[in-house]
Amino acid sequence: MPSLFGIAWKNLRRKRLRSMLTIVGIALSTWVLVSLLGFNQGYENSLNKDIDNLGFQVLLTAKGCPYEAATLMLKGGTGLKYMPYSIVDSVKANPQVEEVTPMLMQVVFDPNKGESGGVTAFLGIDPATYPKMKTYLIFEQGKWFDKPEAMEAVFGYEAAELEQREVGDLYLLPESDVEVTVVGVLKRSGTQDDGTIFLPVRTVQNVYKLENKITSIGIKVNKETDLAAYEEELYKLSDVQVVSMAQVKMTISNLVATARVMVMSIALIAILIAMVGVMNTVLMSVLERWQEIGIMKSMGAMTSHIFKLIWFETILLTFVGGIVGSVMSWILATVTDKLIRSVLPYSPTSALVQIDVLLALKAIGIIMAIGLISGIYPAWKAAKIRPIEAIRSTDGEL
Amino acid sequence: MKRMGFLIILLLILSQGLFAAVGCDLNDPDRDVKRLFPSSTGYKAYYMSITQKGGKALLAKVEKRLGDKFTGLYETADVPYTIYEIYKDKQVTGYIHGVNQKGQYGGIQVFLALDTKGVILNLYYQKMTNQAAKSFRSDDFAKQFKGLSMKDFASYNPSTGKQEGSLAKIKNPAVKAEKDFKATLRGVKKNLILMQEFGYIK
Repeated sequence: MPSLFGIAWKNLRRKRLRSMLTIVGIALSTWVLVSLLGFNQGYENSLNKDIDNLGFQVLLTAKGCPYEAATLMLKGGTGLKYMPYSIVDSVKANPQVEEVTPMLMQVVFDPNKGESGGVTAFLGIDPATYPKMKTYLIFEQGKWFDKPEAMEAVFGYEAAELEQREVGDLYLLPESDVEVTVVGVLKRSGTQDDGTIFLPVRTVQNVYKLENKITSIGIKVNKETDLAAYEEELYKLSDVQVVSMAQVKMTISNLVATARVMVMSIALIAILIAMVGVMNTVLMSVLERWQEIGIMKSMGAMTSHIFKLIWFETILLTFVGGIVGSVMSWILATVTDKLIRSVLPYSPTSALVQIDVLLALKAIGIIMAIGLISGIYPAWKAAKIRPIEAIRSTDGEL
Repeated sequence: MKRMGFLIILLLILSQGLFAAVGCDLNDPDRDVKRLFPSSTGYKAYYMSITQKGGKALLAKVEKRLGDKFTGLYETADVPYTIYEIYKDKQVTGYIHGVNQKGQYGGIQVFLALDTKGVILNLYYQKMTNQAAKSFRSDDFAKQFKGLSMKDFASYNPSTGKQEGSLAKIKNPAVKAEKDFKATLRGVKKNLILMQEFGYIK
């Protein structure tokens, strides 16, 4: 004797085209659902990655020291305050700190600049730590310095354009007769790094007699760190000021939260469409088999048997549709990614749609739950059919 | 509004651009035109590039006349040149035109003030970095170029750097900056060739 499951499968195969179309409908809904959930996951991860690529979350400078080249220029290149290099070790000692990078800004008067000379700023950086924190800095030409005391320079995009420098050119450090070789020119990054001339920190210390001095420290903390609490902690160090990226991060978090609400709303619509589609198909199938179900009941089928039979059909439809949709979304993830990128004004650099097995299983689970819910009414409708009335009539009615 | 501001800053931070050709125009045209042409009453600026005016064929012609190949990021066929046409009342009295030229320490910018026949009236470095930049920027050095024209530079070969004829009289103001001196001569020749090829002087 065939099982209820077997009969359900057979019933679906009897109306192949309709079953196929229903499965396609469910698959499309699953595709939308998986892609949206994948986007929700990927967008947040990708944005976080881009934020991490911004470099350090906290900038520590000597109290009163201008920390941006623009402020420094406004002050006519004056007002630089220094910290001892030993402060790097004090900051590093905190277990919440993932990485630190010391920096030394130096401003000099360049008599060759403009009509009557002008101010030029350099940023002394540690080649071992700075590039790791600023991974978004990509080279147009060349590379970073080889050694921390190398007589070499890397130019930001705008600085290279203004100074008309390319890799291999010599650069004469103003206020000294020291020549450095340009070893790298960066691509445009849209940050203040574009206008910066980078030198190895020890080179700046040696050339401008600033041994063991730095102007700022870039700090990258662990993801779990409470930034506000950590900043308070930093203020325990004497004569320092803390510049935080916390506000930028908060804005991004708000952006992600807004995106999540939008994505979930669309996902809900997809779920509702799938639900109505499944219910409609199964209900139509029940109405068409009105007499058949009546005969089954007259031959001894119990109400629970009919209910289960129709329910199984619904579950089978949603299960197959869910699997097809998940596979489809996985295969088409790249296309979906490109589609989303084409409409978003700004897209993070990493994959926008991130689909994994867990996400696919979650989506199949949701779709099957939809099947279970939307199958209740048709199954109940079929289960309560009265055999004699059903046999007399040709079609069922709602 | 505040959030929008943040968004714009964020987009600026995270966006990336393209590498473009760098032109050579006067930093302060009103001031510079008046200084190079004291009797002028106005000027018009025209923009053009080798690519625009004749493409590869023109580039090959300019290189052949120059006796040297164009090299580097700041000396390409798509570099936009600015030609300032100088007026005294309604009459064109001359031109100012500058070129990028690779020097000992990066790029130098050599501007020429020319009369309508293409005779050099003045030479002006808008940008130059070296220990002897002051000597190069001096009036004494610029004076050596006054009265010269394309015919004086026609036989000058930048690859040999040999000065002949009227060019032999031009003295290097700083022996240590020989590279920038040769670069200046090359820059002046390139400047004059371009002015001829762009059709401003004969």
